[in-house]
Amino acid sequence: MSISEAILPEAVDGGSGSEFRRGVVSCLPVLLGTIPYALVLGAQATQRGLSVVELPLMTGLNFAGGSEFAAIQLWTSPPHIALIVAITFLVNSRHLLMGAALAPFLRHLPRRKALAALFFLCDESWALGLADARQRAGAGITPAFSPRYYLGAALAMYVTWVAFTTAGALLGPMLGNVEPYGFDMAFPAVFLVLMRGMWKGFRAARPWLVSLVVAALVYLVVPGAWYVAAGAVSGLVAAWLMAGKA
Amino acid sequence: MIDMATLATIVLMAGVTYLTRIGGYLVLRNRVLSARATAVMEAAPGCVLISVIAPSFVSRNPADLAALAITVIAATRLSMLPTVLIGIASAGLLRHVIG
Repeated sequence: MSISEAILPEAVDGGSGSEFRRGVVSCLPVLLGTIPYALVLGAQATQRGLSVVELPLMTGLNFAGGSEFAAIQLWTSPPHIALIVAITFLVNSRHLLMGAALAPFLRHLPRRKALAALFFLCDESWALGLADARQRAGAGITPAFSPRYYLGAALAMYVTWVAFTTAGALLGPMLGNVEPYGFDMAFPAVFLVLMRGMWKGFRAARPWLVSLVVAALVYLVVPGAWYVAAGAVSGLVAAWLMAGKA
Repeated sequence: MIDMATLATIVLMAGVTYLTRIGGYLVLRNRVLSARATAVMEAAPGCVLISVIAPSFVSRNPADLAALAITVIAATRLSMLPTVLIGIASAGLLRHVIG
């Protein structure tokens, strides 16, 4: 512990400040992959006619990158409100499952705090928060879910997302395609490491294989973002059926 | 700077997105789950994660598939940061070399 930590009052209550920092640090590798995509989204949005005020409003209030990419792809002037809102719901419907998976770990939190924390739920903050809670539960730490760790990861993600989508809107046409540099591989890398942390043997992982196969097939055959919902739901059905046999 | 139709779209997007975020929590918060439901919930995170990255597994670009294979191997034995760096470097290099 450093001297500054020793004199800060928060160090007394079990190091809540260090929990926040631990969350921010664990999110850093994810940010590497996020920044180029945030820049691209911002640049694309201005080409579609969103202003430098409207875009941060979207990324700050909605804060769900996949749905924002979809919305920008579909954006016209004026926008088809119903279509864009429906697609947004569809792309983000995975949050329903994610929130459900997180719910048992949030029981010790007051409802108001949980609802506020859930505003910052995204693939990355959820995956980090849940993986951490499971690890702590395995190590016998209670409560398993560390709200400050989660908020550290989530706010790092939030600030980065809003700041760099705005930067993308400002820099706009000066940016080219970032894909050749390989930054997009950061997402599969992060997700695969998180899945290894959840690994409980091949038997337990069979639903994941079902999800992978179905999501990949739907992605190849059906346009749009249906593949996430299709893959997730078929994996869950598989898990349901397999649990019945065991 | 702010168009009304744009503002309405953004606010509604944010509204439905927030509903997806709190929906699962509100419905399942105070329930005791059966063994079967617990099995489903335990499989759920991996199912969502693998579905999100499934397109990478069926890329038409051989360089991307090779980089993904390297990343999968790295993920099974290394921690987060080295795996991410290996993933980015292998994708960048292989796309450069293979095309």
